[in-house]
This record gives sequence, structure tokens and C-alpha cells, in this order.
Amino acid sequence: MTQATTKTTTTGNDWEPKIVAFCCNWCSYAGADLAGTSRIQYPPNARIIRVNCTGRIDPDFILAALEMGADGVLVSGCHPGDCHYTSGNLKMQARWALLRKAIEQAGIDPRRIRLQWASASEAQIFADGVTLLIDQVKKLGPLRGQWR
Amino acid sequence: MTENETPRIGVFVCHCGHNIAGTVDVVRVAKEAEKFPNVVFSTDEMFMCADSGQELIRTKIKEHDLTRIIVASCSPRMHEPTFRRVVEEGGLNRYVFEQVNLREHVSWCHMHEPEAATEKAIDLVRMAVARAAKLEPLPIKRVKVIPRTLVVGGGIAGLRASLDIADRGFEVVLVEKQDKLGGNVIKWTHMFPSDRTGTEVVEPLIERVESHSNIKVYKSSRVIDFEGYIGNFEVTIESQGRKKNETVEVGAVIVATGFEAFKPKGYYGYGESPDIVTLDELQAMPRQDLLLRPSDGKPAKKIAFIGCVGSREPGKKGHEHCSRYCCSAVAKAAADLRDRVDEALVLYQDVRTYGRGHEDIHRLARQKRVIFSKFEPDEKPEVTVTDGKIKMRWRDVLADDQLAFEPDLLILASAMIPPSDVEETATMFSLTRSGDGFFNPEHIKLAPLTTHTAGIMIAGVAQAAKNASESVIDASGAAAKAASLLARGEVEIESTVSRVDPDLCSSCHTCVAACPYGAISMDDSDPPIAVVTEAKCHGCGTCAAGCPSGAITMFHSTDEQILSMVEALLVPSPISGGE
Repeated sequence: MTQATTKTTTTGNDWEPKIVAFCCNWCSYAGADLAGTSRIQYPPNARIIRVNCTGRIDPDFILAALEMGADGVLVSGCHPGDCHYTSGNLKMQARWALLRKAIEQAGIDPRRIRLQWASASEAQIFADGVTLLIDQVKKLGPLRGQWR
Repeated sequence: MTENETPRIGVFVCHCGHNIAGTVDVVRVAKEAEKFPNVVFSTDEMFMCADSGQELIRTKIKEHDLTRIIVASCSPRMHEPTFRRVVEEGGLNRYVFEQVNLREHVSWCHMHEPEAATEKAIDLVRMAVARAAKLEPLPIKRVKVIPRTLVVGGGIAGLRASLDIADRGFEVVLVEKQDKLGGNVIKWTHMFPSDRTGTEVVEPLIERVESHSNIKVYKSSRVIDFEGYIGNFEVTIESQGRKKNETVEVGAVIVATGFEAFKPKGYYGYGESPDIVTLDELQAMPRQDLLLRPSDGKPAKKIAFIGCVGSREPGKKGHEHCSRYCCSAVAKAAADLRDRVDEALVLYQDVRTYGRGHEDIHRLARQKRVIFSKFEPDEKPEVTVTDGKIKMRWRDVLADDQLAFEPDLLILASAMIPPSDVEETATMFSLTRSGDGFFNPEHIKLAPLTTHTAGIMIAGVAQAAKNASESVIDASGAAAKAASLLARGEVEIESTVSRVDPDLCSSCHTCVAACPYGAISMDDSDPPIAVVTEAKCHGCGTCAAGCPSGAITMFHSTDEQILSMVEALLVPSPISGGE
């Protein structure tokens, strides 16, 4: 099935992308908390999984999520230099470059994954990042359909 | 409970009054949760954190022989400690508790989409149930607390904190980067609301600190290395003029690194004339009978102040906050100087003399005929300097009139901003910072003096812009926090550390390089095996993610626990109540 026909069959108005979001406890999870406290409204597609540090995120987790049918994956952590654990986020950043390549080679549009930095005070940046990824993924359509 | 036993999960869905239940159909969430694997009990309750909610958990643990507890309520960053304690009181290990964030991450940010919010809530609970089934009880570890505190910064907050702790009978190591104590306050000639100089205020504190038998002062010194964990930190101090660095062990830390007065380049002609100064620079001028202007040393007869310089600027990073001291400080300085000049003018956006006795200062200034004139935030006064003469033009909001003034001396009430080395300090002590650059407290309302790094407190302007009296209050509070930790003598530490399975380790050294804390080393065996020093491990899990052999387990954040959540979301099994 070509991508175009997939889209016509599965991207009706009722399709909503499923997004897995890995957030570090200290910056982005707290940023997401502040987004709530500040009543910033953003689309409800993302499901946050809290990890201590983005450095904890094994690229396998992201690949597994895509394999299991996530339409997009967000990784959100502390700004470089602001990591609660000094440099865990830099490790994630280093892995990210390879991960993007691997995903691309597997035939998945790299716009389905997003790495962003949002501090505990950057609620709007967090919410905007989530919204941006969802918009991007919506344009790309469901990942499952593309594989079949 | 043994590992082979089937988990018995209890789910408690919180209404949080209207906060969650107003958007999310909490009754439906609790009903759906009943169908998820291993869930033997599920209910909804008005307030889980209230006494009744806590009692409900304890009762249901006994009634249903629950072995895993899930509370779906607010952010775990708020109440995880509360519920962990409740679960322990119910006879379970604290690490078999899992919290779902239905408030900050669902109801409050999807207020207009109740259907989608409820679906999200159900997904999140299903994910938590999957994770809970994989959770393991972990040993609770206790360590001794070294009865000594490091205070960083010898300003008014650091001095007060040091004295409080020392008077309580504990040792203090006070590190100050300047060659003298007293910080910003000691430079100032006018303090409010009292009529004393900064020197008069802090000198007695300095004398007591320097002569106190429990306090060791390091001036012209910096902390250059810091490691360890609550109760057991190791601090390396570098001092100018000393060849060898010193290492001290402390159990608690108070960061009181204060602020710098903003140098407002680009604002109101600052830098174009020596007669345009900041409030901080005015305060540092020697106190004498006549106010002499810096350019020619002649008495200033007409003076003007401008408020909110570099403060309260929406959209400008690091300058959005109110600096909180300037309104009262300007009123005080204007009232004092009014006796020595012919005219004194204050241009302001708003006047907020909010503190005890501060309104009296404002009133005094007005009684002395200091002229207050309000300008619009987006219509800032224009200041030009021609041939050394300062000219000001602005629109007075209340009179709706264009006005002009030519002061001999213009004083800009500039913002309090974090010191230039704030980033180094943040990195050194693993502190996060707010949008305005000051250090984040653990909780803005409930824990304003502790930080997310256990054992490290913040006090004074290090936390947010504030005046000297408020800094002193902070300092005593932080000192009480530190002293209570030291007085306990023992403290529990997190068991969330990583461990290497020696049978799987392939001696690649990846984890050794990945660990930010040098907590992993290779042992003497052949081939060498990686070993984690648990006391040094902070639990970030970077090693576990990096290990190519899958040999590292990050406790409470295992691969299995994380992937079970992904799976529960995306491919829920039919019996799990999924689609």
C-alpha cells in the first residue's frame, strides 16, 4: 500500500496521533507541571513517562515505542549546562544524532521524533514543543498505516 | 512479599475537589481501572491527600491485602513523599507506590476537552498499573549526618544563617569570595525601614561570626569541588594566597550567594554621564552633609529617580521579575536626600511599598514634597545628555501632560539580578534556576528554602529578589532546616541507584565514561568488571541507558518498568481493558 492510499484510509477526522513523551523529572516534567498550574492549554495526545534524567533514555525505548505503534516520540529535558545530573542530557543529545539516522534508515520520517529542552520555568516552551510535534505528526499521518 | 507472588494492585483516583473531577470523569477512570490486570481494588475519593484519603489507603491495604498502590491525583513532585509515607504506615515498602498525575498534566491543561482528558487519564492509569506490577520493594538505607554546615556567601543572609547554626551548637564553614564579609548591604548608606547604614546593620553580625568558636570563615575563597549526598558532602575550598586547597566534610549546605545590582547599559543614558548612577552606586557614595555629584564634585540641587530599571519587563529574559526592594529604597533615599536638595523627583510605573513600616517611608517622602510622577510602562521617559547636562522628558499619566526636568543627578533604581557566576554555582550544587535566573526552591509555597538536591538549602536573594529583612528571615529559616537535619544525626537516602550484573558486563568501560559522578569504576578481576559505588550514585540512570550489554539495572527505573508503560499505552492486551 502506498503512503498516499494509507492516508486516505486511516487519516479521517477522527484519527488522533499517539505520542509518547519522555520527560526528565527535574526540568521538563516540572515544566509540564507548571504548564498545568498556569492553565496553559495544549493538545491532549501526549502521554508523559517520567524518567530521572534524559540520560536514562535508552534509544531502544524510542525505537520500541515506534515499533509498538506510537506516531511520535518526544524527549524533553533540561537545557545543556542545566542538567540536574550535570551532563546526562548531553549524553542523550549525543545518542540522538545516531538515533535520527537509524530511524531515517528504517524508513521513518525523523520529524516523528523530537528532542527539546524545557526548564522547570519554561511551561510555554514545553507546551509549544508538544503542540509542534503533534502538528508535525498529524501532517505525516499514522505510522502504523505506513508500515503495512 | 516475594518476587513470584502475583501483585495485588489498589488504584485510588482523586477528585481534588473540582480540580480534577471538574474536567476528568474520575468515576469512569476508577471503573476502567478495575479491569486492568492485577488490579484488585479501585475507587475514587474527594481528596486523597487529606486525612480521610490517607486513612482509606491504609484501610484498603489491609482489607484487600494490597501489595502495590497507585494514587491518581496531582504531580508526584508535590505529594509523592506524602503517599510514600502513607503506604509505609500501611505496612508496605515505599517503592511499591506509583503516582499518576491527573491534575497538572491532564485536567488543568485540557480544561475544554473533558472527553479526551478522561481518555488520557485512563491511559495514564493503565500505564501506571503496568509499571506498578513490575515495581520492587527496595531496602531503606540510613546514613549518618556529618554535624557541620557549609554556608556559601558571607552577605547578610549567610552571616545570619551561620550564626543561627553555630549558636545551635553545630560547626559552620563560611565561604566568601570577596576579601571581606558583609556582601551588598555593608556598602549601603541608607537602609530601610530603620535609619541605620548598612555597616551599622551588618558589622555586629560580622564581629560575632568572626569570633564564634563554631564558625570557620574562608574569605577570598571559592568552592571548587563538591560531591557526596545529603549528610555526607565533601567540599574543596580554594583560597587566594593559600597554596593548598582545603577539603572539609559537611552534612548540609546553605547557598546564600545573593545578587548583583544590574548595570543598566542602554537605559536612560546610563554610562553617558557620570551623573547618571544606579541606586546601588548612590548608596555606596560616602554619607555627608551635602550630596555631591560625581562629575564635578559640586552639590547636586535637583535630583531625579527612575523606578523599575531592568525590572518588570515582560518578555525580556532575566528582567521580568519585580526586584521588590526598589520602591521602598527609592522612597527612603528620596525622603532622606530631600533635606539636602532643592527638588527631588521620582518617576515610577507603580509604587509598591508593601513591607511593614514601608508605607510610612513613602508617606514621609510625599510629606517632604518629593514629587512622584507616574509614567506608562510602554512609554518610558526619555533621557538625553548634551554637554554634560541631563534632560528628561516624559508623559505624566495622572495629569496626561508632557513634562520635562533637568536634574543634576539621575538615579536609576536598577534590578537585582543573579551574580555573574550564578551558573557555576548552579552546576556546582546541582540547582535549577527560574526564568529570572535565581535558584528554584523545592516548592514555591510549601518548601521555599529547601531545593531538589537533598541537603542543600537556599536563602536570601539567591532564591529571588527581596530586601534585607526578608533575606534575614530566609536565613534563619534555612538555618533551622539545616540544624534539624544535623540534630537528627541520621538521614534516609534514596535507594534508587544502579547496579552492574557481573555476569553480563563486557568490560567496555562505557558506563565509567557515562557516569557524571565518577561512581562507577572497574574492579581488579580479569577481565575487569564495572562496579557502582552506591553512595556516590545519584540515580540518573545514564549508565543503564548507555550499557551495550544490558548489564546495568537502574533500580526503580528499570528497562522493564519503563517499557511496560510504553506497551500498556500502545499495545494493551485485551484482558487489560484496552481496545
